[in-house]
Amino acid sequence: MAAIEAGVRGRPATGAVPILKKVWRNYALRRFLRAIFVIWVVATAVFFLVRLLPGNPVEQYIQVQVSQYGATYADAQRSAQAYFNFDPGTPLIQQYFVYLWGLCRLDLGMSIGNRGMAVSTLIAQYLPWTLFSVGIGVGIAIIIGLILGMIMAYRRGGAIDHAVTAIGSFLHAIPNYLLAMIIVVIGGARFGLFDIATMRGTASPGVTFKAYGLAFFPDIFYHASMPILTYVLTTVGTWSLVMKSSTTQVLEEDYVTVARARGLRDLRIRTNYVGRNAILPLVSQIATTAGFVVGGAIFVEQTFKYDGIGTLLYTALQGRDYTVLEGILLIVTVTVVFANLIADLVYSLLDPRIRTTESGD
Amino acid sequence: MAETTMTAAKSDVNTETPILSVKDLVVRYTTGSKSYLDAVRGVSFDLYPGQSLALVGESGCGKTTLGLGLLRLLPRLGSVPSGSMTFVGKNNKPVDVLKLGTAALRRWRWEEAAIVFQGAMNSFNPVLRIGEQMADTMKAHLIDGHKPSKDEILDKSAEMLRAVRLEPKQVLPSYPHELSGGMRQRVLIAMSLLLDPRLLILDEPTTALDILTQRAIVDVLGELRERLGFTMIFITHDLALAAELADRVATMYAGRIIETGSVRDTFQNPRHPYTAGLINAVPPVTGDLPNLASIPGSPPSLATLPKGCAFRDRCSYAEDKCAEIDPELEMIESRLAGLSHTAACINWQQVHSPREVVTADA
Repeated sequence: MAAIEAGVRGRPATGAVPILKKVWRNYALRRFLRAIFVIWVVATAVFFLVRLLPGNPVEQYIQVQVSQYGATYADAQRSAQAYFNFDPGTPLIQQYFVYLWGLCRLDLGMSIGNRGMAVSTLIAQYLPWTLFSVGIGVGIAIIIGLILGMIMAYRRGGAIDHAVTAIGSFLHAIPNYLLAMIIVVIGGARFGLFDIATMRGTASPGVTFKAYGLAFFPDIFYHASMPILTYVLTTVGTWSLVMKSSTTQVLEEDYVTVARARGLRDLRIRTNYVGRNAILPLVSQIATTAGFVVGGAIFVEQTFKYDGIGTLLYTALQGRDYTVLEGILLIVTVTVVFANLIADLVYSLLDPRIRTTESGD
Repeated sequence: MAETTMTAAKSDVNTETPILSVKDLVVRYTTGSKSYLDAVRGVSFDLYPGQSLALVGESGCGKTTLGLGLLRLLPRLGSVPSGSMTFVGKNNKPVDVLKLGTAALRRWRWEEAAIVFQGAMNSFNPVLRIGEQMADTMKAHLIDGHKPSKDEILDKSAEMLRAVRLEPKQVLPSYPHELSGGMRQRVLIAMSLLLDPRLLILDEPTTALDILTQRAIVDVLGELRERLGFTMIFITHDLALAAELADRVATMYAGRIIETGSVRDTFQNPRHPYTAGLINAVPPVTGDLPNLASIPGSPPSLATLPKGCAFRDRCSYAEDKCAEIDPELEMIESRLAGLSHTAACINWQQVHSPREVVTADA
């Protein structure tokens, strides 16, 4: 790992080395550089992948233009160049740097399916809704899960423990798109518990923050409620089970016994001695799961007709909108990498041992 | 040294009321829905103010369980089905520790009785600074009837750290993992004395430390005891340590105390074959090295204790009668203040230590 990163920081002149060393010693900065590095690797992989795909999408696009719309090859090539943000006539390495420079300016090319729309505009339009619904969903699931898990650990073998263990493992086993369908079919259609039709989309027609002010928020929560419910139900069981095992382990630690011997108040022991240590192993897991949920959102959003990145991805897949697919792939990567970065930083705030053992050398 | 502390203890000890009086204490672990085992089987002793009692024995004899039981710190499956523990606190009123409610028990712990565990590595919360943990301890209790202020907490923490020869400025802002094992053990001792407890229980305080660090800890403990005058129970399998720090020794075997007496009684004239065996298994500090003899076998499983004396299978003095009666402690030499020499062996008169054992005062 260190060797790879050495390549990243080792490029500038030798005179700059002391400053770089200092930067490297800073935990947060080092993590940030590492995150940037991962994003660069993925961006590079995406670049070459698209060009190595059997039936090169660019060539295919040109072929389609020529055969179906009767465009000349040169016209088709120019059009492809605009859409894919690269010039097939230039050497690969030059294309690569043009592409990277475009990324730095958040220029991901133009959408093939939606004429005249930049990929970045499309993503900026859809991504916030996914981040909003997934963020709230995962947040609620974690809070409920951690609390349930601690209660289960303190009352091992009790009624709550058994009930949550059974229900939690059951819900954990159901894929979220299946649960979404069950909610629609049983809750919406069969028993009419809620009106699926009015819940479509991210907000009621015409309702915007500008026009409605604060009344906008209840509306978007109403529209996001079903995806959120799905995310909460499918992940809360996992969190409670993981938290239970982690808490159970911490409860066996000597320092908890010593804390009791010291006559500390129960609340203090539960929060600062048990809770804080039990959450540590969960932090990185929370970040990874957040990424998975964004991935799984594709099906859930499709089922609820929620206009998030999942719906965009679905449409792009159907319409072979390669540039949008490329963009989404990159954005999802960036989301996961940054979620991990935040987890690392939170982890180092919670656990002083991380700060010292990884202080660099 | 043993003799001087003994006489000192005798003179300034209030021989009327023991600080801690344990009667027939039983500690039980539930092992199944209907099965259990008794890790401590009817232990009684009186501890007088200022005394230092060493609990010795092999691993698995119930020493640590007894120590935890005294503070009611047993794990979930542990309980005290019978027995009593009367403690005379700072206000000179006796309380039955086993009958204390949750809130009263919380305050009683550390204010009246503190414990230092072995392996101080794990005794501290890894994510809080030493200063925060010391402050936590003080904030949970009333000092002289009021909540301690920030300054009081800082002053007292610094004072105790200096008492164990640590530099407060360096230690207070540190995290536990930044300190060495010996430092952590000393911090734990300093923390145990923050609230001036009357009783301090030390569970193998020097195990897992190198010999020089052990020495430093023992010196600090001796010094603190002289200065603060707390009563001490320490659990150890290090007989040399027992000889040095204790006035009284109680040998435990299979959950019972099988011999009690002064340090001199125990080390120079052990009357229970198990105590004698323990002493013969350790080399003396001075003189020629005699043949060291280990005790054959290992302590019996407490789950399947046979009738009769628990030690008889490993005992060279065993006879048929031993399979029938589990002997009570028999008086060998009666003294005041719990210093009587007693042994739970029907053949105690035949037991002789085959070699001179060197105590710390030799």
